[in-house]
Amino acid sequence: MSQNPPAAPHRELPADAYRDMTRILRIGLITALVILLGGIAAYLVENASIGFGQMLAENPIVHYLGLDALAHGLATGQPEAYLTLGVLVLVATPIARVVTGLYFFARNREREMALIATTVGVLLFVGILVIGPFLR
Amino acid sequence: MDLIWYLVILAAVAIAAGFVGSLTGIGGGIIIIPVLVIFFNVPLVVAIGASVITILANSATTGSAYLHDRLTDLRIGMFLEIATVPGAIIGAVLTVYLVHADLQDALLVALGIILILLAVAGLRRIRDDAYTIAVPDRRSRRLGLSGSYHDAQLNETIAYQAADTNRALGIMFAAGLVAGMFGIGSGVLKVTALDDALKLPIKVSTATSNFMIGVTACATTGVLLAAGYVNAVLAVPVAVGATAGALMGSYILPGVRSRTVRIAFTLVLVGLSIELIIRGLGGP
Repeated sequence: MSQNPPAAPHRELPADAYRDMTRILRIGLITALVILLGGIAAYLVENASIGFGQMLAENPIVHYLGLDALAHGLATGQPEAYLTLGVLVLVATPIARVVTGLYFFARNREREMALIATTVGVLLFVGILVIGPFLR
Repeated sequence: MDLIWYLVILAAVAIAAGFVGSLTGIGGGIIIIPVLVIFFNVPLVVAIGASVITILANSATTGSAYLHDRLTDLRIGMFLEIATVPGAIIGAVLTVYLVHADLQDALLVALGIILILLAVAGLRRIRDDAYTIAVPDRRSRRLGLSGSYHDAQLNETIAYQAADTNRALGIMFAAGLVAGMFGIGSGVLKVTALDDALKLPIKVSTATSNFMIGVTACATTGVLLAAGYVNAVLAVPVAVGATAGALMGSYILPGVRSRTVRIAFTLVLVGLSIELIIRGLGGP
């Protein structure tokens, strides 16, 4: 360490990058929690007599991971489908944050940082949409 | 006992874990997995699924506060996520593979050891001496991995530059791997990379680590969810309880960092970890 090291070029992201990401995290969290709490209340009303072990063994949301099943479940008011949607919103929130970062780096004409943000986003999509379903 | 009472008890336990975790600075999420496995007989991989949902909710709560205060370095966080995300995906895949290969017991033992190491590392006194700006490496200069923040306590603006990016990327990959395998935040490892390798001020390290934990947990959750190991009915009371507890801890008792509470919490965590190891080794 040195008292006077050579300075790295200081590039500041605009204040609206911080403001937008803060909003995304808050809106994503609140939306997810509202859906999840509503979903769990409805699930408990419909499954009042189910046991803890049975709930664990059945994993109520596993049947709604496909797009068609999820859409059908939401349209027909299935609590499990709403629980799945809530989890998906929670998972999508950090992804939206990465996409927002990509937007601001691209707007700042920072090619390398934009490429890094794109790579992080692609890795997340590959993990969730390709590798995860392959493991089921 | 009806399901609803199980969930109420789970939420209460999660509130207590989040509260004490926030109070001690160790993080309540770390205790959730052993509690679910030992006291609720939840399969390890399902407990990991509930833990990552908790981390996602927690990270969004505290992460947005740090962002609002502009303590988080978005540029450095994004740069390091290029290492944590693949680490987390590989870690989650490894866990699912071990479960499919009927090697959960090995996973229990490994988790017990990791939790003990992290609990002890969490006791480490955080460096609070005056910050000295570091020499940036070539990559750090090229990407502009530097910044500044206003320190309210010192009432001055602190400028910083990132130093050893190669070492930081290596530690971050390991942090992602551990986080993905065991469904924990790995905050201790992430802060180590930001603090020890990049030589960032501790406040920036803590805020940026917290911000990154959300994306790491997102990678793990995505893989486990798609693989069918996230049970929302179990995860919701845990996530809501732990987040509410953490908020209470940070708002009701700001600045309280009792060493006695911290040591007591660590001892409880070490005890639970030893129980995990004993179970993994086929004990009672």
